[in-house]
Amino acid sequence: MGDRPAFERLVRRYQDRVFRFILRMVGIRDEAMDLAQETFLKAYRALPGWRPEARFSTWLFQIARNAALDALRRRRHIDFVSLTSGPDEEAIDPCDTAPLPEELLADKQRIGLLERALRELPVEQREILLLRELEDMSYADIAATLNIEVGTVKSRIARARVAVLAHYRHHAGESCHD
Amino acid sequence: MTDPVRPHLPDMIRLSGYLDGELDGATQREMETHLAACPPCAERLAELRALTAAFDALPQDTLGFDLAGMIAGRLAAAPRPSPERPAPRWWGLLPASLGAAAALTLGTGIGSVLIGGGAAMPRMAAMSVFDTLPPGGLCLGPDSCYSKGARK
Ligand SMILES: [Zn+2]
Repeated sequence: MGDRPAFERLVRRYQDRVFRFILRMVGIRDEAMDLAQETFLKAYRALPGWRPEARFSTWLFQIARNAALDALRRRRHIDFVSLTSGPDEEAIDPCDTAPLPEELLADKQRIGLLERALRELPVEQREILLLRELEDMSYADIAATLNIEVGTVKSRIARARVAVLAHYRHHAGESCHD
Repeated sequence: MTDPVRPHLPDMIRLSGYLDGELDGATQREMETHLAACPPCAERLAELRALTAAFDALPQDTLGFDLAGMIAGRLAAAPRPSPERPAPRWWGLLPASLGAAAALTLGTGIGSVLIGGGAAMPRMAAMSVFDTLPPGGLCLGPDSCYSKGARK
C-alpha cells in the first residue's frame, strides 16, 4: 500500500511530541506508549477525513487528547462533568495573585513543583497548559484542538497558570485564607 | 488600567494573554505602558514568565524507539482509507520535494494518490500545515524534527 511509507514518516516526525503530551496527561509511561501507538493508528484510519483547512498537528493532538481522556475516564480519575463545566467562569481568587517567594521560582525546586502541580491540576487546565507551554500552540490552534472558543482559551490558560502558581504558594505554606 | 498609580488587583487574564502575545495590538501596547508603571503587575508577569521557563526546563521524555517501524505491521492490517472517498489529501503534508521523490520511487500506489487529487492541492496550503518545520525539511529520525524553536 503506497501511502504507508509516507505515513510512517509522519509518525517519526510527531511521535515524541505526541508521546510527551500523552505522558503528561496520563502520567504513566507504559500507558502513554500504548496510547501514542493507538493515536497514530487512529490517525491513519481517519486520514481520509482530514482536510488541509485543519492544521495537521492540531488534528493529531485532538486524537491524542481524546485517547488520553478515554484512558483517564477508564481509570475514573476524572468524571465527565469536569470536562464540560470547568471553572472558567469563576473569578480568580485574589489570594492566588499575591506575590510569590522568589526562592520558589528557583530552578530545581520549581521543576519538581511544576510536575506535581501538573499532576494535581484539573484535566482541562492540565491539557491546555501542555498545549500552550510545551507545544507552543497559538490560542486559535488550541481552540481548534479542544473545540472551545478562543476567549475561553484565554481565560482558561490564565486560570491554569494561576492554579500552578497557587500550588507553589501552597507548598510554601502561604495562604491568605487562614 | 487608566490610572497605574491607584492600587488594583492584577488582571491575570490580561497578563497571561500579554505573555502569550495574544492580545490585540492596542491592548498589547496599553499593557506595555501599564507594566512600566505598575510594579505589582510587572511582578505577576515575571512569575508567569518564570512558569513558562519552568515548562521549558521539564525533562523532554522521548519514546526511545521507532514507533513507525513498530506499527508498520498494524498499519498494513488497518482498514485502508476508503477508495470511494476523495483522494487522501494528507499526502500534501509531506514537503513537496519529499513527495515528488517518494512518488518516483514508491511506484503506483503513491502515484495514484498524487494523480487522484493530492497533486492538485495548492502547494502553499500543504506547506502551511508544517509551518513549524524548516521549508523542505525532512524528518529522518525520531529526534531530528522536534525542537521547541525560538519562542517569545
Ligand atoms: Zn497593574
